[in-house]
Amino acid sequence: MTKVHDVERFRAHVAALNSALDGGDATGFCRAFDSLGAEMDCGLLPELKRLTATAQSALARFSAEARLDALAGHEVPDARKRLTHVVKLTDEAAHRTLDLVELCGPLIEEASRGSSQLLAAWERADSRNPEAAAMWPGRAVVFLERTRTDSSTLRSYLSELLMAQGYQDITGQIIRSVIALVDELERVLGKLVQIAEGHEVTSLVRVLPSTPDWQQGMGPQVEGISNGDAVSGQDDIDALLSQMAAGK
Amino acid sequence: MSSNLKFLVVDDFSTMRRIVKNLLQELGYSDITEADDGNTALPLLKDGSFDILITDWNMPGMPGLDLLKAVRADAKLAKLPVLMLTAEAKREQIVEAAQAGVSGYVIKPFTAVTLKEKLDKILAARAAA
Repeated sequence: MTKVHDVERFRAHVAALNSALDGGDATGFCRAFDSLGAEMDCGLLPELKRLTATAQSALARFSAEARLDALAGHEVPDARKRLTHVVKLTDEAAHRTLDLVELCGPLIEEASRGSSQLLAAWERADSRNPEAAAMWPGRAVVFLERTRTDSSTLRSYLSELLMAQGYQDITGQIIRSVIALVDELERVLGKLVQIAEGHEVTSLVRVLPSTPDWQQGMGPQVEGISNGDAVSGQDDIDALLSQMAAGK
Repeated sequence: MSSNLKFLVVDDFSTMRRIVKNLLQELGYSDITEADDGNTALPLLKDGSFDILITDWNMPGMPGLDLLKAVRADAKLAKLPVLMLTAEAKREQIVEAAQAGVSGYVIKPFTAVTLKEKLDKILAARAAA
């Protein structure tokens, strides 16, 4: 609050204003007004200078303590490179796995076809015929039957292995959204460093939307992060779409 | 099953395109073209005679929702079956996709059985039309 003795210094200026007003002295009124303004400024300017200096030194201290230079200079850009590298590695690993899945497919088909053909030949031969029995030991027949069954099991395992590589898409989308955030953080830090160094800074250009743009796509659901009203799975989607179709 | 159908699979992640391609091949479909977002998909759709479009939603460039709207707005493509294969799970999004005319919506991660089921449904509706 302004103290009484601070207000006292305006008394003479106000009296001059009143006197000029009463006397119809426009020039005197303007002069008294300017002189009041100057009196007020001489109180405000040192205060403004003090505030600016405090803000500048707080920013410089914050900049040093928060290691803004290091963060903006290489640590945050490095974080982005690391995340990009993770996406690249998982992409390569998923593709390598898919290569192997695709290579295994024909091998399994061959084992399945070969065992089925041999079993059919065994069934055509008379198993009670001693010559055939000598050519087809019981253990070989059991092995062929097992091979045929295992081929089918392996085929379903391979299909699951193929589907499991979908993790690369899901994790990649999540990491990509973090990379976008890191990009923005890097820009903000760069501006803070400039301000701390006393440079004049133009306004920040936002890259990310201030609210998530669901029309563009928000990426996969992440446990603990709410994206609003989300479905719980495929059954929920099917029910929602059926409801909409029924309501048409 | 008609195995000579022509598919366009759109996803910015090449692993996902490869997974979908493998699944389609297992189902007996071999004519499969790939694109990595709506901007590359749309000219292909306009030039080619695709029977079905399978698209992701969240892609840089043109997202799947915009691609769906562009398809429905094009007289030549308007009736093309479009299956959305995406991790986008907000109710609002699914309602928007349905209103934009999506033929089916499969949420990632998905199973081979779910993809087959939705494709069969779409193809049955296409045959009945």
